[in-house]
Amino acid sequence: MSHFFFFQDIGSLNMKDKLEALLGEALSELGAASTEEGLQELRVKYLGKKGALTGIMKGLGSLSAEERPLVGQVVNTVKGKLEEAFDSRAVEIRESVKAARLSAERIDVTLPGRRRAVGSKHPITLVTEEICAIFAALGFAVAEGPEVEHDFYNFEALNFPKDHPARDMQDTFFVGENVLLRTHTSPVQVRTMLKQPPPVRIIAPGTVYRCDSDATHSPMFHQIEGLMVDKGITFGDLKGILTLFISQLFGSDIGVRLRPSFFPFTEPSAEVDIACVICRGKGCRVCKETGWLEILGAGMVDPEVYRHVGYDAELYTGFAFGMGIERIAMLKYGIADMRLLFENDLRFLKQF
Amino acid sequence: MIVTYNWIKEFVDCDLPPAELSHLLTMLGLEVERMETIGGEMDDVVVAQVVEKNQHPNADKLSLCKVDSGKEIVTVVCGAQNFKAGDKVALAQIGATLPGDFKIKRSKIRGEESCGMLCSEKELALSLESAGIMILPEDFRLGTPLFDALGTKDTVFEIGLTPNRADCLSVVGVAREIAAKLGNKVHYPGLEVPEDGAPIETIASVTINAPDLCPRYTARHITGCTLAESPAWLSNRLRAAGIRSINNIVDVTNYVLLEYGHPLHAFDFKLLAGGKIVVAAAADGEKFVTLDGQERELNSSDLTIRDGEKGVALAGIMGGGNSEIGEGTTEVLLESAYFNPSAIRKTSKRLGIHTESSHRFERGTDVAGLTRALDRAAALIAELSGGKIAKGVIDVYPQPIEPRVITARVPRINAVSGLSLTDAQVKDIFQRLEFEVTETETCVFQVRVPLFRVDLEREIDLVEEVVRLNGFEKVQATLPRASVFSDLPSDALRLAARVKDLLVSQGLSEVINYSFVAPSSCDRILLGEDDFRRKGVPLLNPLSDELSVMRTTLLPGLLETAVKNISVRTMSLRIFEMRRIYLPVQDKELLDEPLYVSALLTGNREPEGWNQAKGEIDFFDVKGIVENVLADLNVTSASYSAEQLDPYYHPGKACRVMCGNRQLGSFGELHPTVQENYGIASPLYYLELNFGALIGARKKQGTAQVPSRFPSTFRDIALLLPLETPVADVVSCVNGVKAAELEGVEIFDLYTGGNIPAGQKSIAIRVRYGSKERTLTDDEVTRLHQRVTDALVKKLNVSFR
Repeated sequence: MSHFFFFQDIGSLNMKDKLEALLGEALSELGAASTEEGLQELRVKYLGKKGALTGIMKGLGSLSAEERPLVGQVVNTVKGKLEEAFDSRAVEIRESVKAARLSAERIDVTLPGRRRAVGSKHPITLVTEEICAIFAALGFAVAEGPEVEHDFYNFEALNFPKDHPARDMQDTFFVGENVLLRTHTSPVQVRTMLKQPPPVRIIAPGTVYRCDSDATHSPMFHQIEGLMVDKGITFGDLKGILTLFISQLFGSDIGVRLRPSFFPFTEPSAEVDIACVICRGKGCRVCKETGWLEILGAGMVDPEVYRHVGYDAELYTGFAFGMGIERIAMLKYGIADMRLLFENDLRFLKQF
Repeated sequence: MIVTYNWIKEFVDCDLPPAELSHLLTMLGLEVERMETIGGEMDDVVVAQVVEKNQHPNADKLSLCKVDSGKEIVTVVCGAQNFKAGDKVALAQIGATLPGDFKIKRSKIRGEESCGMLCSEKELALSLESAGIMILPEDFRLGTPLFDALGTKDTVFEIGLTPNRADCLSVVGVAREIAAKLGNKVHYPGLEVPEDGAPIETIASVTINAPDLCPRYTARHITGCTLAESPAWLSNRLRAAGIRSINNIVDVTNYVLLEYGHPLHAFDFKLLAGGKIVVAAAADGEKFVTLDGQERELNSSDLTIRDGEKGVALAGIMGGGNSEIGEGTTEVLLESAYFNPSAIRKTSKRLGIHTESSHRFERGTDVAGLTRALDRAAALIAELSGGKIAKGVIDVYPQPIEPRVITARVPRINAVSGLSLTDAQVKDIFQRLEFEVTETETCVFQVRVPLFRVDLEREIDLVEEVVRLNGFEKVQATLPRASVFSDLPSDALRLAARVKDLLVSQGLSEVINYSFVAPSSCDRILLGEDDFRRKGVPLLNPLSDELSVMRTTLLPGLLETAVKNISVRTMSLRIFEMRRIYLPVQDKELLDEPLYVSALLTGNREPEGWNQAKGEIDFFDVKGIVENVLADLNVTSASYSAEQLDPYYHPGKACRVMCGNRQLGSFGELHPTVQENYGIASPLYYLELNFGALIGARKKQGTAQVPSRFPSTFRDIALLLPLETPVADVVSCVNGVKAAELEGVEIFDLYTGGNIPAGQKSIAIRVRYGSKERTLTDDEVTRLHQRVTDALVKKLNVSFR
């Protein structure tokens, strides 16, 4: 306890001076207080019921009637100043205590956070959903069909006659003489047209199969087929829709070209190339130095297909297109070996 | 198909450099898949001149030469002797790479520096043998790359031909396309046949007994031939096309096959009994040894070429060993015929023989132009082998095939293509393609298509020809003026995507396995003998036994995936697959292909980490996922049955998800034997849901409920009940109390053992009460709660703790 004194002999001292001294002493003690507890003790010492200021105020009774209001006023002023000083010191102490706590509470923010397990969609699903969304915005409905399919839908109605070299283009898995694993999503075209009269505007995503397995071929892979049939549809429209689609998928600055090709169920038929996304058309290993990457097959629906589904080929024209999802996924994500997509290594899949 | 730049230019005038020609071909639909310069990689081998030839000071057999490369004089040590100062020679400079990946470096030979090498023909792969170095003609310019100077620099185009373009399986065919595009004419050099000798009819005879399989057969006869090695220009071109040089006669037939696309066959005439050719079907069971030495069993659908006594060739596919050109051949009968494409294809497929010849015949050859190939080959054989060609051609062509005439309407061409071509433009395109055109009425052409275009049968084929030759790039990209119609993705597809999203948010990663599995997988997942999932449809031609049956469940694929991941130390797995399974349907050819969503989980519940909750996945993690899926799809009436479980489940830790009598799916811990069968150490948890059944069990989304603005109150109860009583009974008992203020019940603790009597369990439940009108008073809640506890005592005979 610090030095302590009581004003017992009031009459002999100048009250005002005592009060000034008291104020000075209190303020300096208060300034030294560093905890809220210490400050509270001082508050009791000076302002409490038995405190120094109360002691002085008790002495007021011994003063003359003239002196009393004057000294009382000084007492009140000192009391006000002290209270104010205590309050502001209290705030200061709280702040500094908080600051000390905050600085003591520093954690290592480089430690990893607490995570819930998060899954991932397969890249094939991601690309399929993205492509379907683009075509949905262009008004294409989604259609589906069986994967174990009749020869009729997979080949015959698509103008692949039996014993025709065109069938060599697609190595087929068979489950019966006329039943096979569909080699492309094109049978969905036939099924859709047999079910509904024109106009038709569909896309058909799905799983397809060919007996082939290496770095760029998988015995099971995925395609998206598109079909639009109506009055007055032209090859120019096909070009327009595909150009729009490609610019949505790969960016509007990507070069696109159509070049003649052959599919039994379209005529004229086209392969659609985009400027190589790796070298931007300069020529690299991915595009075999051509600057172009083949990503789509397309064409005007062959009248022979209309004959099989009972559409009037003189009245209606239309286009069909098909693309391999794996190919697009490989280009989008820079995957060199298609087999990675089906190894299901979570360290690979978690990247998507 | 391979053609070379210089070879093409023999048939069509074309100034385009190779790269531009390649682009032109690609844009015509003859996609150039590979372009390669031959000779170009040896540009560091140049024409040089020997300035001085001196004896090497340290070696008797070597000379030390000073050679002018056109840029500088270099010193070269040489071992050959067949040259002198002043000769023009081939100098491989420092940095050149010779065939066989032989790199020329600066070197010291017996103490003397040698800056290059004087090359022989053999070293440059220009011939198989050579004596000494190559001496070049005087007029070769110093410093010129050797292959430029020799004119053997060429560019090889490998064209990925579509199966319809049989006409382009030749140099001439490709040249025709270029000519059509450029508006030039094709010329056919080297067709003059120097005939000299007796008329062919007096030497040989041809009879066709199967005119439907062989509509035309022509032949020429050459005598006095000397079999020899082919000249370099011929064997080089064959090599570029990937064909091995054999001798000057066989090589010519191959050369003309590449050039004209028409397969020819040369017989050793002396080996043909009676000098006769008879074209006839084989006898059933007839044995025939083809050129490759293999004995083939033929049947009556196979077409053969026979002499007076025996089969001598499998028509259009492969010759026979018994009439082969070989040592001692002096007389040749050269065949150029047209065979029925589908007959050739059938035989070739059945016997598994695919040759350059069958490849062309089965796609269709030029029945009109086959004598051109015959003449070209006869002239070349005579030239190279010193033979004499008999007068005339045997040409058996009982029923000449007429070219097709197709009607082409210009408005139709424009309607399909979106172009606006005039009659004149269309006519010009047809004529460039060598079609004969007559305009029968305005905008309508009768188009006579040459026989080499076997692919053109219908008007639409001509539409394609016009758009193709005119250039795809000239078609304006437009957007269709479509009838207004559109469909949103079907409910099922939209919901499938939503389920995938939900599973991903629950920490599951999607995998995609092959749809075909190993037959043994049924055993490994313990399916019973009569289980319908053993009836998976097998592939007739699987890639392997491991991928041979269409799956009937997603479980084996997920297990395989787990094994693969665990083998690379990914020990905690949460994977799902949402794909079809393939179930046979009685009396139907096609299958039922329901969409299933299945998941497999094992290992830690949370990712590992310094601050992560520890604990392993269990049954209730899987159940939580199932509950979330059901809630998300608004399937509210599901119940769980622990009866009639699939054999792959742990019998006490699995259940079926039911909606009434319909099974929606099942989930639980897999049987430890399944775990053992796949060699996985930790317990596995699996769920499978039939997506179609889930969609069928959905309740329609009801009107949204407004939550009460007044706080609700809860009361907790701890109760004891027999171990075997399902907790679900407690919940349904509480929910069975009819009171609008009863908001819900949760289980927040479950306890057995300790001070709980044996055969009993303790559960703690929290019952919520509330009203939409006001805050309930304590008395009201107490009265409600009393009803709940009464019901529990009455219905379940529980006691409270």
